[in-house]
Amino acid sequence: MSEAADHKDDRAQAGEYVLGLLAPEEARAFERRLASEPELASLVALWQEELALLADEVEPVAPARHLKRAIDERVFGPSEQPSRPFGWLRLTLGATALAVASLVAALFLVSEPSPDYRAQIVAEDASLIVAAAYFEGTGYLELQRKAGRAGDGRSLELWLIEGGNAPVSLGVMPETEHSILKLDAAMRARLKGAVLAVSDEPEGGSPTGAPTGAVLAVGKISGV
Amino acid sequence: MATREDLENWIAKLPLGSRDAFDSLYSAVSAKLFGVILRVLNDRAEAEDVLQEVFVKIWHNAARYQSNGLSPMTWLITIARNAAIDRLRKRQRAEKQSVGEPEETLADTALGPEALTLRASSREQLIACMGELDEKRAQAVRRAYLQGDSYADLAAHFDVPLNTMKTWLRRSLLALRECLTR
Repeated sequence: MSEAADHKDDRAQAGEYVLGLLAPEEARAFERRLASEPELASLVALWQEELALLADEVEPVAPARHLKRAIDERVFGPSEQPSRPFGWLRLTLGATALAVASLVAALFLVSEPSPDYRAQIVAEDASLIVAAAYFEGTGYLELQRKAGRAGDGRSLELWLIEGGNAPVSLGVMPETEHSILKLDAAMRARLKGAVLAVSDEPEGGSPTGAPTGAVLAVGKISGV
Repeated sequence: MATREDLENWIAKLPLGSRDAFDSLYSAVSAKLFGVILRVLNDRAEAEDVLQEVFVKIWHNAARYQSNGLSPMTWLITIARNAAIDRLRKRQRAEKQSVGEPEETLADTALGPEALTLRASSREQLIACMGELDEKRAQAVRRAYLQGDSYADLAAHFDVPLNTMKTWLRRSLLALRECLTR
């Protein structure tokens, strides 16, 4: 195919990708290219920006009030109570009195699903510690950063490493101490027995799709 | 009416844990995003569920927005639309009871950290360029974006073979791109 035809194809395919018209395997292949081809990413951004103008014609509809409360609970934890985003963690800390621990355990049994996998991602000198818990039902990976943080103008990026395979990015860790990453189906199937690692990257994450900075901390994923 | 700067400021404060910024952002954009989600799903209960997911995603992905070049409204609308379309596809799969099909999900956020290096067209340009397309073809693009129609949905709606539909739509996109870059 000539270069001009390739170029035209990319323009149309970027549009199809943004519209959600590509078959799943085509979309995944396209995303792999996106990671390494800035020009293609720019075409996608352009379509996103321009097609979003179509939403101007959509009338706003005020959502019911109770939704904001439900969202707040999901984001900030139950209202008017100390936030308990990581109830299960307290069980593992072991530093609290047994009575308190069993109270937390009771709360946790009532209100929170238990994770299917966990990992403690720890730096050799313990300067960075991230506890990870994965919930199969929702595909959410909860992260609790217990020590350390990204340097100024830097980001921490989380990677999944299976055996001798190249690390696969699970995303940039949000700056908040507690955060949740949603894993896509392909990633979920690969967690068992794999290793999670956190690397130091330029702000916004690795520009190449592979770790570019120091690997700060690693932890093996174990079943619960 | 919140300005682009307001939205950018609020989004920038989310990774720092600002509840005020989250409340302000919610007040400013929840009705628009709910409208977009509702247009795709056409089911209030499902749309409410997706709206919740969308704001949880916005909260957790805000650090990735930063200055990726997209306008904040585009970023927000894209998250809402993609989440709604994911839900629509799941519902369609469940209706077909086709277990074991690969799960197809649109990206959670609009884009990674890549900058928007090209200048986006204005709304007027888009309307003009959509107007240059054959009416049905413009409608197909609109349905795919606003209602989340798949190629199969579009082929059924316009009563043409699937491959014809694909050719149509790709040509429409190229014509649109030519016009928008003019």
